[in-house]
Amino acid sequence: MRKKQTSKNISKLSLIWKPRNSSLLLLLLLAFGLQGCFGIGGSNTSNTPGTKPITTNANGQQVGVNQTQNLFKGKIYFTIDHNLWVIDPSNNAREITHGGNLYDPAISPDGKWIACIARYKDYSNLIYLSTTGNSAHLLRSGNGKYYQDGPYVKSTYYWYAQPAWSADSTHLLFLSDFEKEDWYAATGENAPLLDLQVFSISLNNPSKPQDVAYASFGDGGDRDPSYRPGHPNEIVYTHYAYDAATQTQQVIQIFLEDVTQIADHPGLYHPGSPSSAFDPGIAITSPKDEDLQPAFSPDGNAIAFVKREASGTMGIYIMHVPENVTATPNDPKTEQEALIPYKTASHILSGQYVSQPVWSPDGKQLAYISYDNSTFDLWLANINYNAKTGAYSMQGSPVQLTSGGIDADSRPFWTT
Amino acid sequence: MWARVLVAVFGVILLLVGGAAGYLYFTFSPSVNNIVGQQVQRARGEEDPNASRNGADILSGPRINILLLGSDTDEKFTNADGSHSYLAQTDIVVTIDPATKSVGMLSIPRDFYINVPGYGMHKLDEAYALGGVASGNADYSPGGVALSRYTIEQDFGIPINYYAWIGLTGFVQVINTVGGVDVDVTHPITDDNYPDDVGNSKDPYGYMRLYIPPGPQHLDGITALEYVRSRHADLVGDFGRSARQQQVLSALKTKLNNPDIIGKLPTIANDLNGYVKTDMQLSDVFKLMNFARSINPNSINKVILDAPYSSTGTLPGGESVVFPNCAKIVPVISKMFDLGSKAACNIQGSTGNTSVAGVSPASSPQVAPVAEIPQVSSDSLQTASQLASMSMMSLFAGGDQYDFSGIHSLLDLLLLTVFEAPQALQV
Repeated sequence: MRKKQTSKNISKLSLIWKPRNSSLLLLLLLAFGLQGCFGIGGSNTSNTPGTKPITTNANGQQVGVNQTQNLFKGKIYFTIDHNLWVIDPSNNAREITHGGNLYDPAISPDGKWIACIARYKDYSNLIYLSTTGNSAHLLRSGNGKYYQDGPYVKSTYYWYAQPAWSADSTHLLFLSDFEKEDWYAATGENAPLLDLQVFSISLNNPSKPQDVAYASFGDGGDRDPSYRPGHPNEIVYTHYAYDAATQTQQVIQIFLEDVTQIADHPGLYHPGSPSSAFDPGIAITSPKDEDLQPAFSPDGNAIAFVKREASGTMGIYIMHVPENVTATPNDPKTEQEALIPYKTASHILSGQYVSQPVWSPDGKQLAYISYDNSTFDLWLANINYNAKTGAYSMQGSPVQLTSGGIDADSRPFWTT
Repeated sequence: MWARVLVAVFGVILLLVGGAAGYLYFTFSPSVNNIVGQQVQRARGEEDPNASRNGADILSGPRINILLLGSDTDEKFTNADGSHSYLAQTDIVVTIDPATKSVGMLSIPRDFYINVPGYGMHKLDEAYALGGVASGNADYSPGGVALSRYTIEQDFGIPINYYAWIGLTGFVQVINTVGGVDVDVTHPITDDNYPDDVGNSKDPYGYMRLYIPPGPQHLDGITALEYVRSRHADLVGDFGRSARQQQVLSALKTKLNNPDIIGKLPTIANDLNGYVKTDMQLSDVFKLMNFARSINPNSINKVILDAPYSSTGTLPGGESVVFPNCAKIVPVISKMFDLGSKAACNIQGSTGNTSVAGVSPASSPQVAPVAEIPQVSSDSLQTASQLASMSMMSLFAGGDQYDFSGIHSLLDLLLLTVFEAPQALQV
């Protein structure tokens, strides 16, 4: 599918949308008249050649799917208005759920289940359902209530977000704030820890979560957790914090971590302010940059991630995973070694907003969300790896997979 | 021959201009007419600071003070007769000295525990509810405006020349009309104590929880409002909030600069209708907003009466309030408003009044210090004339933005109140 030319036309018109003379007023008024007569100015619809409309989203845009055959292998799950959708290489699109409140679908490696988040006004639930959309199971409920605690108003509502499966389909990583009232003594802060942290649960015993990674107080917590393929004890996530010195500048880094560290060292680690927190995560990106949304390659040897670039654009990059750095995460020498692969990360592509990269199961493509024609849509990029130089690069031009707008606040998932 | 051509061209132009004037009149006049010139009668004995201005232009003559009120618009207080009462969550006084071109902006916390004339001690936001029930069009309460204005005048000695009232739902509707805004949320937004005051909430003092994930995404009107209003999502307080507001303003600017917006202007005007009310005339708003856009927002003297000008506390009944620190407040407002010895802090009144939430206040007002019937002075022809004038003035002003029929200026007034920041005028 070729990119629509509308954006260029809009840019040209924008240039003349700074009127300097009265003749334009007449043109505008004439446009008003024509609009009134002919009803011009309604909602845009996607009429891109080669696309098949599948639904109309809440913004009134017709969502279409590229009809070119075999652009990819496997199935890609995503959400439109927070309803689950899946598309396959034959460009068949299927709506799996209809409730309008689901986020972050994650398909179990055995192909049986979709773990996801059901969101409500003040809380969210961690659930899983069959890949046909039936048999929903509640794993963790965030429902609660507000209550008065002396002069403070508190709540027992909790957020759950971004589930990710272990390779054996028995455990899930997820984010939550359900320990928000537990950390006053450790953080030294006279406020609940609202920042989401990383936990894991066994599907057989979801009432016994394990703390996996801690948050720094005040910047919203952790995001984007996932297990490293081939390394069942390693995970990656984005860590949002403020700088320890002034606590005014955001520091957004990707962390690698051994999931057994907290469990194996009870009482050693804890969340807190940037200067007081002590966690087992080790930064693998520079504190001077803002890097987020890591995604492991299927072999677990590389990470695709998003960088907020100095120019104001966003870019997708790929770096190698530093090895043997998670056992001694707070050792200064190890901290330096962990940053080495980042320095040679390969730039893949950039755009105004690019986000949520996910690898194809064969590791040859990336799907990501890009912002074009004022909508967020799925795009595909073919990835080439040069074994001699160790560099990754994009092969050819990206291909637009959807048009009209899907949810950019829910991460897509690619499975076999 | 040429004379005929000239006559024909002139005729066509006349036809177009006439059609345009008619279009303006029928498209925008009903909405704009319902927004500007909404005079609210002053209380008996209340001095009218405009009386001494002798009709001077809004940007000439002595200092002017404008009260900006932002209130929710859902049905929290349903009275026995089916009418509704609302709180004013935002109370800001903007002061402009035309002689020095200096501008000040005083934000008074909604929970300020002060004397509401005729009603005793209450939170400031309750003055709007105590002043009267919402009347007629949407959720605007002229009596609420009048009592809020009177309270600030009496308690702090600040004369109020004009007011502008904003319903937060208006912001939500405008954002939805332009198709939402697309921003890169820089970090996860968490807030367990966001005011649950827009939508279907029935609890005026209720809270709701926010979790807005980071990264590029589309925000609808209600989410955009949550994103720019949350006060607990950053360690850096107002700096973080200001940065979020800039993102939304920038995204909104992109939408408003899109030619598609022409077709949506009547809808935007309609969105503002019922959610923006002011006693200023359209030409005054236009001049004021043009002036405000011309000054550096960083040069505006912005004062928020939180600590050290006040401290939080609880009443014997457990209600959270903010207690003013008069010793700190008086010098500041004396200087900002050039009040000299007229600056006051008459915040003490009779105690023991039950909070608004407890007594359905609008159903049984103790005193009616102000009239509740607005006296609308603008007429349709005046508004139509101003509409055409606004379009031509903005056209020849050569600015970056085209203020068709003053809609942009009215939108600015709404954004200024919702964001509580002068940076909102940079759209």
